[in-house]
Amino acid sequence: MNIIKQGLLASVLSLPALAFAVATPGEPAPDFSETDAAGDTHTLADYEGEWLVLEWFNKDCPYVRKHYGSDNMQSLQEKYTAQDVNWLTIISSAEGKQGYLKPDEAMAEAKAHNMHNSAPLLLDPDGSMGRAYGAKTTPHMYIINPEGTLVYAGAIDDNDSANPAVIPDSKNYVVAALDAAMAGEPVEEPSTRAYGCSVKY
Amino acid sequence: MRPITQLIIFLLFSIFSPLGSAQTSASGDHVKVRLVAPEQLGSGKNTLAFYFEVDPHWHVYWRNAGDSGAAPKFNIRSDSANIGGIQWPFPTRLPVEHLTNLGYEGNVAYLFELTPKTNAKTVELNIDLEWLVCKIDCIPGFGSMTTELPVGSEASWSAEDKTLIENWQARIPQAAANSPWQAESLLTGADNTLQLSLHGNGEAPNVFPLDGALLAAASPERNSTDSGYRYTFERQPGVDLPAHTGFVISDGEQAWQLDRVPLGSAPPPKANQPLWLLLLAAFVGGVILNLMPCVFPVLSIKLFGLINSGAGASTRTREGLLYSAGVLATFAALGGLLLALRAGGAAIGWGFQLQSAPVVLGLIVLFWLMALAFSGVFEFGHRLMQMAGNASGGSFVTGVLAVFVAAPCTGPFMGAALGAAAVLPAASAMVIFLGLGAGLAAPFLLLTLSPALLARLPRPGPWMDTLRQLFAFPLYATVIWLLWVLGQLAGDSGWLLGSSLLLTLAFCLWLGGKGGKLWRLVAWVLALAALVVTFARLAPSEPASITGEGIWQGYNADLIQQARADGQAVFIDYTAAWCITCQVNKKLVLNTEHTTELFKQHNVLAIRADWTRHDPAITDALSQLGRNSVPVYAWYAPGAESAQLLPQILQERMITQLFANPQGDDR
Repeated sequence: MNIIKQGLLASVLSLPALAFAVATPGEPAPDFSETDAAGDTHTLADYEGEWLVLEWFNKDCPYVRKHYGSDNMQSLQEKYTAQDVNWLTIISSAEGKQGYLKPDEAMAEAKAHNMHNSAPLLLDPDGSMGRAYGAKTTPHMYIINPEGTLVYAGAIDDNDSANPAVIPDSKNYVVAALDAAMAGEPVEEPSTRAYGCSVKY
Repeated sequence: MRPITQLIIFLLFSIFSPLGSAQTSASGDHVKVRLVAPEQLGSGKNTLAFYFEVDPHWHVYWRNAGDSGAAPKFNIRSDSANIGGIQWPFPTRLPVEHLTNLGYEGNVAYLFELTPKTNAKTVELNIDLEWLVCKIDCIPGFGSMTTELPVGSEASWSAEDKTLIENWQARIPQAAANSPWQAESLLTGADNTLQLSLHGNGEAPNVFPLDGALLAAASPERNSTDSGYRYTFERQPGVDLPAHTGFVISDGEQAWQLDRVPLGSAPPPKANQPLWLLLLAAFVGGVILNLMPCVFPVLSIKLFGLINSGAGASTRTREGLLYSAGVLATFAALGGLLLALRAGGAAIGWGFQLQSAPVVLGLIVLFWLMALAFSGVFEFGHRLMQMAGNASGGSFVTGVLAVFVAAPCTGPFMGAALGAAAVLPAASAMVIFLGLGAGLAAPFLLLTLSPALLARLPRPGPWMDTLRQLFAFPLYATVIWLLWVLGQLAGDSGWLLGSSLLLTLAFCLWLGGKGGKLWRLVAWVLALAALVVTFARLAPSEPASITGEGIWQGYNADLIQQARADGQAVFIDYTAAWCITCQVNKKLVLNTEHTTELFKQHNVLAIRADWTRHDPAITDALSQLGRNSVPVYAWYAPGAESAQLLPQILQERMITQLFANPQGDDR
């Protein structure tokens, strides 16, 4: 409610155009409509009233491997989908670029990565969803609240090493943001610098 | 020996060599790393390096890697020497698809300083490395090095390594003091940008942001300014502004580091700042004032008047010019007054006309009568306009009125321009005032001058009555707000006196409207008597205290000084009762439970600097921040040297983010 009031206020009292090119924490999340590896279409509206995590993925990226090889990402998916959080893992690699997968390959990779807690991999080969969100790296993480507002954008944690050994001592931003936001508290760090490989648009 | 035999012998030697032998290289796909160290360390400070030899078209990263990637990590341990931080040569921008990385395409040396401890005969080093090498794909690499180096009085280097170190040392950013380019200002720009202005001579340098979490790595837009260049960086979405941030600037051969460029307030403009630019800013600010809710209805009166009268082109031109003259004369008078008071040493600020209770009461009466007229209680056109004399006088008065009601609605432009005016030479300050006036007058003048534009205005009709009645309501709202201001100025009796006067006036209008000369005379006498009594009663009283409002304390410079010295965080809300934006921010953001809780939790000294009656100490503090109007929100992080100024329209998340990363950009 406050956000609406303040939004109105800002538009009444200040003239600068509030144009945001990419997803911005505190603002409504950009819309998307993409098909997953199983052929189903997912849109932002499908998740209205529910929590949603977006995760950008590239199977050949060492940083993705850091979090999947260590089972860190799968544990997060399991932990939060058990709390009725939706989790979408997105591939924005263009055809011919590293990490691009055809639907059947994507199904196989998801199985190989033990991603049974998130929906089938979302395929965004034209990069439209990635660009709308300003996804720069794999993994790049976004959290959207039931009102459709982005509450977090950035890295999975605070250690940009590719070494999985650092995970236990890293601060997981996604956990911190989800736990705070779902408890109705403000997210302390709603935006961090995402690290990892570039998204292969 | 054949190479393969050499390799085998080397490997065997590496594995079975006794303790203390060296492993000073590491390698991975597309990259070889070598520790560049002297054969003998000097007893003083030595500069060593990690030299990365990278395959063509592959790259490694700078300390701020940019949109993706990661800086190499070095963990250097030694019991017998002190090790300095890594020194990063200035990078280049590496575009990767639509992203930008900051790093080095080709070989690079990362330097560090090493000082043997006193009496150390040898220095042993244990090093763990991690790096990321990318072309489009990225490959991380890991390595470990150990070595033991003898210490002598003088360092002894191989000629080749000495040259290598020196070549890369030349590319390490130097102290800002040596820089031919100095930061002039760092300000927020439109569309989520930050603008760094540099002054200096020569070709435009490259500028690299140190904080990748704050600024995008992409090449900033560059514009020439009178004294140098302005770089417009895109900010990362949703990141709040720190008090200061750092940049590395490079001419392609050398580099300099601007460590803590303070952000927020514009520095006092220099005398050589182009006057036309200030004038333009003032003009734009003036045009924007037309849209302010307290000005717009007033202008509408005049435009309706013009349409209704069916006046000819010459009359309209005359009206427009008279209105402009009224605006300009009032701005000139106010500017002159401000300058006179400034010259007299009196610290005074914009909005001061609303610090006088009789002026406020006068405005209340005026707005009340206008609102009643709009509502159709009495005929505005036949009475007040006639009272104001002929139509010419009316336009002039409208111009005067527009200035007065616009003053408290200081938009962002107005704040900046007036801040400049307070510190500029008298002539320039006056130009700014006239620029504001010209801006305020321009749209109205344009409408009256151009028959084409005027013709595009809708035809008069019954809808105008409806619209006029609608316009009454913002005026009623203004009356309520001004009554409240009056209460702040004159104490509790203020609003009672004011509203009693309004009631009396409404009664007199009703009485006068009953017809009959006698009743009209009685109404006039009663109204005049009420006006005289009320104005007379409004003697200045002690200001209403706003201290003790929750966690907020009144302005006290010593208290603030003390808290900052003790490393306590300080938040100052520069506010005034007549500033409507201030009240809204207070209600929606500052006085919420959320903010109160955050402030308590982080032991923030919350100060409410009330500028309703111009307190010289607060005027002083504002001018130190480069401002001359409210609202201003100043945040001093614990131990911070300078204030971070928050935007004029506050949001709760801006407050939240003050505490998100207390270290600011010290990353």
